Amino acid sequence: MRRSDFPFLGFGVGLRRPHYAHVLENRPPMDWFEVISENFMVAGGRPLEILAAVRDRYPIVMHGVSLSIGSADPLNRRYLSELRAMAKRFEPAWISDHLCWTGVGGRNLHDLLPLPYTEEVVRHVSRRIRVVQDFLERPILIENVSSYMTFRESRLAEWEFLRAVAEEADCGILLDINNVFVSAFNHRFSAEEYIDAIPVERVVQYHLAGHTDCGTHLLDTHDHPVCEEVWALYARAVRRFGAVSALIEWDDNIPEFSVLVQTAERARQIYRGAIGAKAAGDGSSSEIHSEPAL
Amino acid sequence: MVPHLKSIQSLLYRLITAPSGVGEGLAAERGLPAGGLESVIRGDDRLSAQDRVDIYANMYFYRLLEVMKEDYSATAEVLGEVNFHNLITGYLLEYPPTEPSVMWAGRHLADFLRDHPLSEEFPFVADLATLERATIDVFCAADAPVLEAAEMNSIPARRWAAVRMRRVPASAILQVQWKVADVLRAVEEKRRWTQPSRVSNRILVWRRHSRVSYREIGSGEAEALTALDRSRAFAEVCEMLARDLPDNTAAGEISRLLAQWLADGLIMRSSAMRRRALPHPAS
Repeated sequence: MRRSDFPFLGFGVGLRRPHYAHVLENRPPMDWFEVISENFMVAGGRPLEILAAVRDRYPIVMHGVSLSIGSADPLNRRYLSELRAMAKRFEPAWISDHLCWTGVGGRNLHDLLPLPYTEEVVRHVSRRIRVVQDFLERPILIENVSSYMTFRESRLAEWEFLRAVAEEADCGILLDINNVFVSAFNHRFSAEEYIDAIPVERVVQYHLAGHTDCGTHLLDTHDHPVCEEVWALYARAVRRFGAVSALIEWDDNIPEFSVLVQTAERARQIYRGAIGAKAAGDGSSSEIHSEPAL
Repeated sequence: MVPHLKSIQSLLYRLITAPSGVGEGLAAERGLPAGGLESVIRGDDRLSAQDRVDIYANMYFYRLLEVMKEDYSATAEVLGEVNFHNLITGYLLEYPPTEPSVMWAGRHLADFLRDHPLSEEFPFVADLATLERATIDVFCAADAPVLEAAEMNSIPARRWAAVRMRRVPASAILQVQWKVADVLRAVEEKRRWTQPSRVSNRILVWRRHSRVSYREIGSGEAEALTALDRSRAFAEVCEMLARDLPDNTAAGEISRLLAQWLADGLIMRSSAMRRRALPHPAS
């Protein structure tokens, strides 16, 4: 897997139901959209019509929530077949899912649960990612999840685990900056150390989102604006990783589309500022990609 | 490796889905290591191991409760918040989600309600859930080319009898015992719903231009539309419809029903018609 295999899409937002009509009727300027794959795994009707219409006008990326790549269950071949068929029809720029497990024993928790960070689990997960990539005939991206528990048996830091899986599976990384921040608070590690340890050539996409402060822990709710600390981490990531497509996620208390546009624009401005600083600092502008025209 | 991972994931699954919370789940747990949950999950001064699993347990239940409230908004309104909450608690024990998409999580709710104690107080509610589920299934059912009225009218009348007809996949015919379409319509229109009457009736649910609609239909129409699960000749459909109609009104009524079906987009365009519509290759 090479990062150059993936296009730089710019600054996008997650496509959510309250904005379908606005997007279809007004065709607002937006670099790209990310869609939740499972929401479109249906036989027909409105969901697929909407996706086809959006795809006609914008680049899309398919982001899954039920691959369950870390489960002890066998991979779900029916799910993979549907994913492959969907990718064939809608030609996403790439496909991503989470480094987690979502169910076991044939049952689905519809949540993203963390794994024990051990060498054995690295091998288990990376082997399965390779199977998925062979089946889909393309490299996929795996995303770090927000988590609220860690396992006693873990022997690797989360960033070491993520890096090891990505390298052994030869896949890309979808680096969720908010998830890094949330998990850093919940497990008392350094978010900056995490960002600095991720291999540059594997990061293909960022997620930016809001969370809820529950006092004892942060909850990854995607129902608030991106907080200043996460923006600062994002700027750090841009300085380290260069031109990486960024996406705003907002899944609850979803605001007007214009708010999402403003948030994506802020990500663009931070990118421009950070890339400018990087180029000025190291005398290199090789990481600067041309941005998609609106 | 996998057996060990499976045992950890299975333990967490049991605790997260325990009906009375992680605490009671732990008390009933026989598969815990000697050191208890703290020997599996790391706790700290902010949150114990159990607190941390509790976060996942709450997210599991409330996420699915929200999905059910959205999918079964009328059922939820009829039952009230507490009843619906308790119903879903029991439902998830009986029918835990198994599919990758959360949209299938509630597909057995009507079946679950039929034998549920709430059906004594609300005897129509299983029928209401059946109708709500049908609207979801029809919403995302397979697409099919629809026979339009203009196309049917372009076929010479003498050939109508032989035209093959089939119902589109995005449609369903429900047999229910209560007039629940009135309840669903009242809730959708934000009107006060009233107890429906107990009358056996049939409801047609269908999708036209992405919009799902429903209406009560008579037994003759239901029988004919059900028969259209398989391709039938138009003459055969007319015979079925005419069975329950007086001779002097049959032709008019059949004509009205056919016009209605075409307007509703209920009839598929057959492959033979599609072939006829293709331009002739240049000779």
